[in-house]
Amino acid sequence: MTGLENALREKRSDSFVLLHLANRRFALPAKVVAELAPPVRLHSFPHTSPLLAGVIVRRGHILPVYDAGRALSGKSSIAHRFYLVARRQFGAASEMSAIPVDGECELVTSEMHPRADDAPPYICGEIVAGGESIGVLDIEALVQEHAQTQAEAAR
Amino acid sequence: MKIAPQESPRVRKSITSEPAILFAVARRLFAIAADSVQEIRSTDSIAGAASEFESPDVPTVRHTIERDHRQYYVVNACAHFHLRIERPTLVLILRQLRVAVLVDCIERMTELPAVYDLPRAFSGEERRWYRGLAYMNDIVIPVVDPRGFLTAEEFRRLDAALHPAESEHELEGVASK
Repeated sequence: MTGLENALREKRSDSFVLLHLANRRFALPAKVVAELAPPVRLHSFPHTSPLLAGVIVRRGHILPVYDAGRALSGKSSIAHRFYLVARRQFGAASEMSAIPVDGECELVTSEMHPRADDAPPYICGEIVAGGESIGVLDIEALVQEHAQTQAEAAR
Repeated sequence: MKIAPQESPRVRKSITSEPAILFAVARRLFAIAADSVQEIRSTDSIAGAASEFESPDVPTVRHTIERDHRQYYVVNACAHFHLRIERPTLVLILRQLRVAVLVDCIERMTELPAVYDLPRAFSGEERRWYRGLAYMNDIVIPVVDPRGFLTAEEFRRLDAALHPAESEHELEGVASK
């Protein structure tokens, strides 16, 4: 059993998964992360939803893939071959979705602090790991902000 | 961190399968339920029955064709799915809807083992375009919703543009009630 799976089972609120996106480190609460999935085929088809690169099939489920790197740096991260599978809330319902990552993920335990005043809206808090302050990513806010930016650009 | 073990993708067992037509548009593959398609014709064979028609409100429709004394609106699937416009060679004439769809080619007939709901993350026009997603032979294929090609409002606008006199009459009738 992996450390990540242990953390998920325990649902410790102070466990975070560190990941690299757009050449920066971010954290995701371990309680929303299901697994780090190995390389699988990305299936794409026409759609108009912001940030979605397509879907992968994982453990019998079709999971949407968010190209989070594009929202953070303007550069696509779908070349990354691994997928971090995390839960996203839709009101009362939730859905698993995947984020392409480079596979360099790490599980840490840390206390979450409030976000800095000047932090972007998609950062919901901060943790300290290895002496470094790392933003905790809010996928929902990231998608919303990207959609808003796209809509404004289209006007 | 270790990586979770790779499992061969498996899809939940379906209760029923359904016959479908796999077609391509701008090199993208789509599925449509076979029973929603009345007829498949080549664009050449229907050229004589087609009339140019434009409604600025509905840019995906540029022609109508007459079949069995009914006018069908011809939707260009490339335009509908916001894909690069290619030269279509076939027309899918839909059943129970006055819609014909220009596509590039038919890949094959098949049985869809299951149609899965589109993930909630998809929130754009695709929610109208697709009934869901099918997974077969290691590929995910969007399953088109025939009703998604034209909305009721688009039908109303097209009908009004095609038969302005009748629409005006209808509106007069509504106004006099």
